[in-house]
Amino acid sequence: MNIRQDTILGTFFVVIGVTAFLMARQYSFGTTARMGPGYFPVIISALLALTGAAILLRGRIGQTAIVERGRLKPLAIVLASIVIFGLLVEGLGLPVSVFVLIVIAAMGSVKFSWNWRTAAAAAVFSAICGLLFVRLLGIPIPMFGTWLQAVGL
Amino acid sequence: MDVFDGILLGFATATTFTNFAYCFAGVVLGTAVGVLPGLGPVATISMLLPFTFGLPVDTALIMLAGIFYGSQYGGSTTAILMNLPGEASSVVTTLDGHQMAMQGKAGRALAAAAIGSFFAGSIGTLFIVIAAPLLASLALTFGPAEYFSLIVLGLVTSMVLTSGSLLTALGMVLFGMLLGMVGTDVNSGAARYTFGTPHLYDGLDFVVIATGIFGLGDVLANLENEHTRKATIAKVSSLFPTREDWKRMVGPILRGTGLGVVLGVLPGAGVLLASFSAYALEKKVSKHPEQFGQGAIEGVAGPESANNAAAQTCFIPMLTLGLPGTATMALMIGAMIVQGVQPGPEILTQQPALFWGLIVSMWIGNVMLLFLNLPLVGVWARLISVPYHFLFPIICVFTVIGAYSISNSVFDIYLMALFGLLGYCFRKVGAEPAPLILALILGPMAEEYLRRALLLSHGDASVFVTSPLSLGTLIVAALLVASILLPQFRKVREEGLQEVD
Repeated sequence: MNIRQDTILGTFFVVIGVTAFLMARQYSFGTTARMGPGYFPVIISALLALTGAAILLRGRIGQTAIVERGRLKPLAIVLASIVIFGLLVEGLGLPVSVFVLIVIAAMGSVKFSWNWRTAAAAAVFSAICGLLFVRLLGIPIPMFGTWLQAVGL
Repeated sequence: MDVFDGILLGFATATTFTNFAYCFAGVVLGTAVGVLPGLGPVATISMLLPFTFGLPVDTALIMLAGIFYGSQYGGSTTAILMNLPGEASSVVTTLDGHQMAMQGKAGRALAAAAIGSFFAGSIGTLFIVIAAPLLASLALTFGPAEYFSLIVLGLVTSMVLTSGSLLTALGMVLFGMLLGMVGTDVNSGAARYTFGTPHLYDGLDFVVIATGIFGLGDVLANLENEHTRKATIAKVSSLFPTREDWKRMVGPILRGTGLGVVLGVLPGAGVLLASFSAYALEKKVSKHPEQFGQGAIEGVAGPESANNAAAQTCFIPMLTLGLPGTATMALMIGAMIVQGVQPGPEILTQQPALFWGLIVSMWIGNVMLLFLNLPLVGVWARLISVPYHFLFPIICVFTVIGAYSISNSVFDIYLMALFGLLGYCFRKVGAEPAPLILALILGPMAEEYLRRALLLSHGDASVFVTSPLSLGTLIVAALLVASILLPQFRKVREEGLQEVD
């Protein structure tokens, strides 16, 4: 099944626009001379919903491009690697989490292959990140997180 | 303070060891980013922004600015040697620059680009020195109605100059404005679109959105179509332009500089339009238009001068009006606001060291770039061959650490991943994300100025058309929209902007 670009984009804008409009109605609208917190959101979300509808209409009548099929594997792997980094960073500290992030993210590429050299490079890069960001720039991420400290490292 | 004192103060600020070092770091990074295809200045600046929060504001801005104009230099190297635009604004440079490289004239093409860029950059900074104080004193008379109309003009220009349809760009602008409303309303204290999570009370951080959409989104889009880069990098021969080259370069450099200086100041126009217009202009005035596309040095010198001139002068509206014209400038404004500096007409009197220091550093940076790019071009050429599959995990690392460090919250990492996915989807459906970032910064400003304008006029909306300046601005915006609906202009725009993708 071929999906048109305009169908996806139009639907997205309509859904966001309508949702935002309904939510904005909860906020006090005010008057034109004294705009309340709901004034601007109501206008903008209504315009967004209308724009989305117009895009949908254009997709119906005109010839618009079809969404190209892409490989979803790299997308899933890279996004997963970032979420996993988020789960690990406070427990394991920066260098270890960076290493895990690189190992997982690299699997998203068809060209990347692991051998002792790439593994060593990743390990060195992780260590440098730890020194640079934690020690030098003082970003408050632990070098070794709470989990490692708990086991006595 | 007159201009001369200002420049002296600027030199004093820009030549402190720290600022000089960060300026150098900025232009080196910028050149690298420009050289590497698949990594742009918007993504880089947003990734590095959080790490500059600990620096003094002048140092931070000097470095970030260096990344931006440095990337204009670096982009031309990749364009000439590999026929790949390292930067969107170098697209036209590939046309003649790579042809010259194929004919064994790579060194001369690089020299034309670097010399043109340097001249244009110097004139561009000089123009800021003259024009910015004038505009700032004019801007002091602007009321909220004028500001609101200027914001509208900026958003409309960015929509018109985006590849893809106007309707799509309008949707992106409105969506960006909605994202800008998330958080506590400054006037009423009401929480808007926070979904009850305290994480969102302070609003969506623009750095999280920008790194997600540009940094991570680019990675996701590039990985989908991972193709082998042609490893054929043209050999660099003599870097010295011949006497004939000089003769042919002078005119295009002067015209390109003039065009770039003017187009850079326009809100929303940016460097891309400058390089395209300069190429079109050179082709039109040339006695040998048939040589264009076959390796005409005019086609390298003109656009390269124009994009670098515009890269300098687009700082003018950002600094003196506090209105960003492009996504990059939006990030700069964000950086200043985080540091507690409100850009605007008062910046000259309240932050003179920052203002003049930044301008002088831009000139110093251009001198550094001339030397970095000509004698050291071989080093950069080697950087091009760094494969993307080594690069992208590193980009991922920078995006996550940057997102986390804004407010030390893992929530921002997840949010960044979400916007990365969104950025990927936008590319898939042909929606260019640059107007979204601009609207994210301009949206809250638009709301505030609209509220103030209507408060002052007691709810009378005619205030936007009774002020001559506001009326003029809105007419220009309307003409821009009308022009795009004309079939003739539409064709030019589609052809011009198509190449960018």
